[in-house]
This record gives sequence, structure tokens and C-alpha cells, in this order.
Amino acid sequence: MKIGIYFCKCGTNIADKVDADKVKENISVSSGEKHYKTVDFLCSEEGKEFLERDIRENGVERVVISACSPRDHESTFMRVLSKAGINPYLMQMVNVREQVAWVTTDMKKATEKTSRYINSAIKRVVLHHALEKKEIDASPDTLIIGAGPAGLKIAMALAEAGRKVVIVEKTPVIGGMPVQYEEIFPDMECGPCMLEPIMGEILHGEHAGNIELLTMAEVEDVVGSYGNFTVKIRQAARCADPHKCIGCHECVEPCPVSAKNSFNCDLSERKAISFPFAGALPHVPYIDNSLCLRMKGEDCRLCKDACPVDDAIVLDEQETFIERTVGAIVIAIGAGIYDCTKIPNLGYATIPDVYTGIEFERIMASNGPTDGEIRTSKGGVPRSLAIVHCVGSLDKNHKEYCSGICCQYAFKFNHIIEAKLPGTKIYHFYKELSIPGKDGYMLYNHARNNPDAVFIRYSDIRDLTVKVKNGEKIIEFSDSSGAKGFSPADMVVLCPAVVPSKGAAKLGHLLEASGDKAGFFEELHGRMDSAQSKIKGIYLAGSCQSPMDIQKTVNQGMAVAGYILSGLVTGRKLEIKPIAANINSDSCSGCRVCLSVCPYKAISFSPEKKVSVVNEALCQGCGACVVACPCGAVTGNHFTNEEIMAEIEGALA
Amino acid sequence: MTQLKLWDQVFLLSGAYMATDFEPKIVGFLCNWCSYAGADKAGTAQNPYPPNVNVVRVMCSGRVDPQFVMNVFEKGADGVLILACHPGDCHYKEGNYRAAQRYRILIKLLAQLGIEEGRCRFDYVSASEGDKFVSVITDMVNTIKKLGPLRLAGEAKCFSS
Repeated sequence: MKIGIYFCKCGTNIADKVDADKVKENISVSSGEKHYKTVDFLCSEEGKEFLERDIRENGVERVVISACSPRDHESTFMRVLSKAGINPYLMQMVNVREQVAWVTTDMKKATEKTSRYINSAIKRVVLHHALEKKEIDASPDTLIIGAGPAGLKIAMALAEAGRKVVIVEKTPVIGGMPVQYEEIFPDMECGPCMLEPIMGEILHGEHAGNIELLTMAEVEDVVGSYGNFTVKIRQAARCADPHKCIGCHECVEPCPVSAKNSFNCDLSERKAISFPFAGALPHVPYIDNSLCLRMKGEDCRLCKDACPVDDAIVLDEQETFIERTVGAIVIAIGAGIYDCTKIPNLGYATIPDVYTGIEFERIMASNGPTDGEIRTSKGGVPRSLAIVHCVGSLDKNHKEYCSGICCQYAFKFNHIIEAKLPGTKIYHFYKELSIPGKDGYMLYNHARNNPDAVFIRYSDIRDLTVKVKNGEKIIEFSDSSGAKGFSPADMVVLCPAVVPSKGAAKLGHLLEASGDKAGFFEELHGRMDSAQSKIKGIYLAGSCQSPMDIQKTVNQGMAVAGYILSGLVTGRKLEIKPIAANINSDSCSGCRVCLSVCPYKAISFSPEKKVSVVNEALCQGCGACVVACPCGAVTGNHFTNEEIMAEIEGALA
Repeated sequence: MTQLKLWDQVFLLSGAYMATDFEPKIVGFLCNWCSYAGADKAGTAQNPYPPNVNVVRVMCSGRVDPQFVMNVFEKGADGVLILACHPGDCHYKEGNYRAAQRYRILIKLLAQLGIEEGRCRFDYVSASEGDKFVSVITDMVNTIKKLGPLRLAGEAKCFSS
């Protein structure tokens, strides 16, 4: 075997510290023929041309390059090897510049160390295997879970690029949380108005044909991996045909069943057949089968009888299961809010007129339970209103992080209350104030300049107590300086911590996408890759990853769209890098230790063959399984035990 | 090869003396993403350190089989370094934790074989910590110089092949 050893002088960088001629004397090739050349600048155009020609003309079969760090030019020289007609993995680089020449003061020692490294590389490179990149077919289609602002933006971006998208939304409506907010910080834009253009595009726009929207649907099961996920979706019965329904509402009134409307935070009533709220899209009613009398065995058909369109209402419709194959999955399920009953001193759910921020949004909304009127449970106008910031946030006993959005919506509330109820006293109880960015200060300044607004800083949420005294609701407090006092509070609005949504853990388990310590979906990298989960092909957008506002949510969604558009291209196969693990099924005992150590869920167990199998599309080549396997059945390509041991022997010879 | 076999008879004659001309042989396993990059960083800063450590690049510190360490000692090294990404920074999520866990067991095993804890060091070096890399290497070389050459006698077989 002819081994080509190319010693790059890197100008004076290496040549001044390492004696190239002495190195030539010191190195030995035990099995094969030594072919040693020195080059001034191997990475220059001339250097690369020389390398290619020299390999070709001399029939070099293995290459050792003594030069700079492989982190600099390994891929450069791998490409030269390919051009020279030999497999690029039949090369080993020796990092002389960064790890010998530049850091060793004694030339003799530097020369010895270089010789040792090259001898090591020679021992290693003779064991190298020619590795080939593999290609697999991949679906360019995408599944988006959640039809909030992030999900809708991603769907639109992909559909406009001609990609097929399946949106799975749990509720009967699209638009997510903001569609229920009458006004949105920082500029008091109307939530539905902001989202309606994109919702219209999704439902009926030019590219709507590329979007399959499944409301009242949930992901039931997922198998496969990046490029080829097979997803099973449970489609609940809506009992109304979106294609036939004309949205006239005639069906709602005759329904004899009444229940709390969860879209208005249970603050109003709805029927078993209903529209979630005025303006909800798609503009089609749905039947809540947990309420419908037909589900209780009664032969009620009042809604269908009232419907002016034949077959628009489909009584006794059954849930169905749908299967789709997609290349990528996006989690955009949003977040929830902290359970305020865990802080009992705030009186939530025990004292009337104590609301969460979301409940208060609905109260202020003109399509909400009170048509936008802010009234106490006794029907009066509140003369005082307390807004409690940081409820459960920045609190070791509850959630340690800052939820980031509460201050801004609290000051938005301040603005709306001031407009709707001039003269009402507004007490802001806060632990910290956080209003970053170029827009946040406006509502804050407005609140600060409101003569009816009072700011009281507390240091522990337990220092606030909501109570009823002589028929009046008050908040007793001890502020951050320790001073005690009380303020009237006809109404109390709590700003609870943003927490993972209820379905997050279950979905994470299903997709094998891990959660962080707070239960949000864990990103691949906090700064550089927060739109990717730790599972390849599963992306994160919006507050399911971390508390965030609409702007960040939409931006993250567009980042996801970018990943999908660049990673999964119609007609292009997925390239699989060959530095991956290989399991020899003859040696595998089926103990499955490798499954437990793989950080990428890239190994599965084949029950038929009773052995573990590596999914090369997912394997990142870390080698955890190679070490863990008690049978020596796993080989880590390009970093085999034999190759590493040979390198060690060379270093110690 | 992967099956660890405890030596039946190992006689260790560790040098308790300080040999003045003793140049320790040390093998350093560096993960590709942090520690190897940290070593490169020391290079670009032209920050010198003793030449005694022979670097073996692995993709992840979690790839360092305890068997490699045994092998290194058997082949005549006086010390072994395992350098990993800092906790939470592993390119492969958790390989550095596995390496740290294995290391804790490994040094107990090495102690049973009479190999002092100081001869096998685990540490974290990030891609930006060129200075830390230099101080870890320098400190390691000084430690091994104090410990003296590792002398394994008898039928020392670290691994079955």
C-alpha cells in the first residue's frame, strides 16, 4: 500500500518550528511504501493542484496530510482526494500548525512530536475504510401542529413555495390565542384584524390548495424520522360540513343544551352546537359530543331541522383516523398559564372578580362574555382595579423564570381601562418590570403618566393578600421596603406565569422531543438553533419553546420555514453522512443498552430479528453506543476502536 | 476487547522519586467540538505549553472507551487526559456527562490497579478556553513529573483482544 505523506510548510508557520527533513527521516511505514513530499502551501490553488496530480501520478492509496487543524482544511483536502479519484475518507490530517508549531518553543521537541503524530497517522490511515455518503428519498411535505400565528405563518410560507402542508389544530378555530384578544401590545392593534388576512389566505387564498387544515384534530402517533415521518391523526367529528355550511347560525338557537363556553373562559354560556365566538374561523359550527343529547341516546335533531342547507349538519358523524407522510414536523402548540389557585392568598377562584389576564382579555373583548363591558359580578363599574404582575414568575416557589410578556399586556390593560373607565384607580403590584425592545416603553410611559395609576413594588407574592373587608374587596400588602398598607380593588387581574401547555408533555413523549426543566420543548441550541428540537426534522416555533410575544413567535416560525425549505427540497434526496454507527447483527445480543444511550433516538429494536438497528438518517456519529455495547457489536465509522487504538500505539511508540 | 478484564496480578512500582530528566508520555483524548477547538485556540494565540501530550481527536468525549485508557497505560503512557465540553455544552447533548460518569468509575478501577488518580484527569475545556487548555496541559505534565514514570510489572494485560 502506497502511503502519501504531504508535509505542508505553511510558509514560515510550520517550517520555522519543525525540521521537515528530520521528520522525513523519523517517520516509518511498517506496512507499505512511504511517499513523502513537502509543499509550501498545500491549501493554495497550486498546492491543491499538486496534491491531486501527485496522488494520481504516483498511485497513492492512503494520504496523511501534515498541516493545519482539520477544523480548517479537512474538507478542503477531502475534496482534493475525491478529485484525485480516491475515497476522501482514506486520509488522516496531522495538526502540526495549531497543536505543535505554534505552541512548542523547542524546535527539536517540535520535530519529534510532529514525527510521532505522523507515525500515528500512518498507523491509523492504513486501517481507514472507504466510506460513501448515502442518499434516501424524502418527503418535502410538512406537518404543523397548532394553528396559531407561528403555525399559520409557516404554513403560508411553505404553501407559497409549492409545498404541501398539513395543519393539525386541536380546537375548532384557527388563529391561536391572539385571535381572542381585542387589542394587542405594543400598538393596540386588533388581534383578529391582524390575523384575518393570513387566516383568509390559509382558508381560501391562492395557495390554499397546498394546505390541508384539520381542526378538532390531534396527532395520535408518529413513526419514522427526518424526511419520512408517518403521522396518524385523530380527526374528531365536527358534525358540520365546512364545505356546505353557510355560517348562518340558524342551528344554534334551537339547541336545548346549555353549557359554559370555554372560549370565553367559562364566563358565558354556549349551546351543544355553537360557534366558539363571533368571527371565529373557519366560520362553521361544531357539536360538542360531550353535551349533545344524541350522545345520551335522545333523538334530538333540532339543529339539523333548523339548518337551511341539506346535509350541512352531519349528525352522528364519527371520529376518523387519517394518515399522512411528511418530511418535517413543526411543534407550534403555544403555551398555557400558571394555575393561580396555587397562590391562594390572591383569592383566585375563591373571591369574586379575581381574574387571570386571559379572562380579562375576554371581558374586554367586544365579542366576549360581556360584550366588552368591564363590570363587577354585582353589575357595577369597578372604581378600583388591581393588576398583579409576576404571579408565579421569578419565584423559586413557583416558576423561576420571567415570563417576559406580562408587563407589556399589563400596561395594555392599563391603557384600555383608562379609555373604557376614566377615573378608575389602577394599582400595579409588581416584583420586577421587564419591557425590552424598541416599542415596549410606550404603553409603560402611558401607564406611568396616568394620574390614576399607582405602582407598588413587592418582593414576595405572599406579601399580597386579596380579601373582602366590610363588603369591599381590598389587597393588603407589604411592599419591598417593608411598609404595610392596603388598596381597594373592586376587580383584580392576575398576570400568571406562562407555562407549557397541557398537551406539551404528551406530545413531547409521542415525538420523543425532550422538554427542558420547566417543561417547554427543548431547543437544539439556545442561541444558534432555538427553532430546532433535539430530534432532527422536528422544529419548534413560538411559546411552546419558551415564553415569547407574537413578534418572536412569528420570527421563529419563519426560521422554521427556512430550515424546511433548505433542508427538504422537492426532488432532492437527503444526504446521509457516513460517520455513523453500524451494528453488526451477528454480534448484537439484543440487550438494547445502545437505545438507552443514543441521544438522537437513532437506534431502534427490531423485534423480528431481535437486534438493534441504526437509523443512519438520525445518527450523528457521536459514538456513545459504540462504547456502551457490551458485545462490541457497534462500529463507529471513521472512529473505530482499531483506528483509535492504532493512533494511540503510534503516539506511544 | 470491550470486555474489561481485571488483572490477576499487577505489580506497580510507581516512581516516588523525582527524575529530573523524566519527560512524561501523556495521551489526551479531546472532543472535536470544544476541547480540540480549545487546543487550536491556544495554537492561534501562540501560547506555548510542554510537548508531552499526544492528542487523539474523538468526535465526543462520550466516545472515550475506558478500554482506551487502560490501553494507553499498558502501552507505556504515564498519564491520560480526557477533555470534554462544559456541562450543558455537549455537541451531542449528553456525551460529556457519560464521559464524566465513566471517569468516576474508571479512576476507582485504576486505583485498584495501583494507578494514582492524578495520572488520569478529566476536565472541561471549551472552544474559547485556549488559556485553560494550556494550564491544564502544563499542570498535568507537572503532576506526572512529580509522580514519576508509571511502572507496570508482571503480566499486565489491560484488555483481551
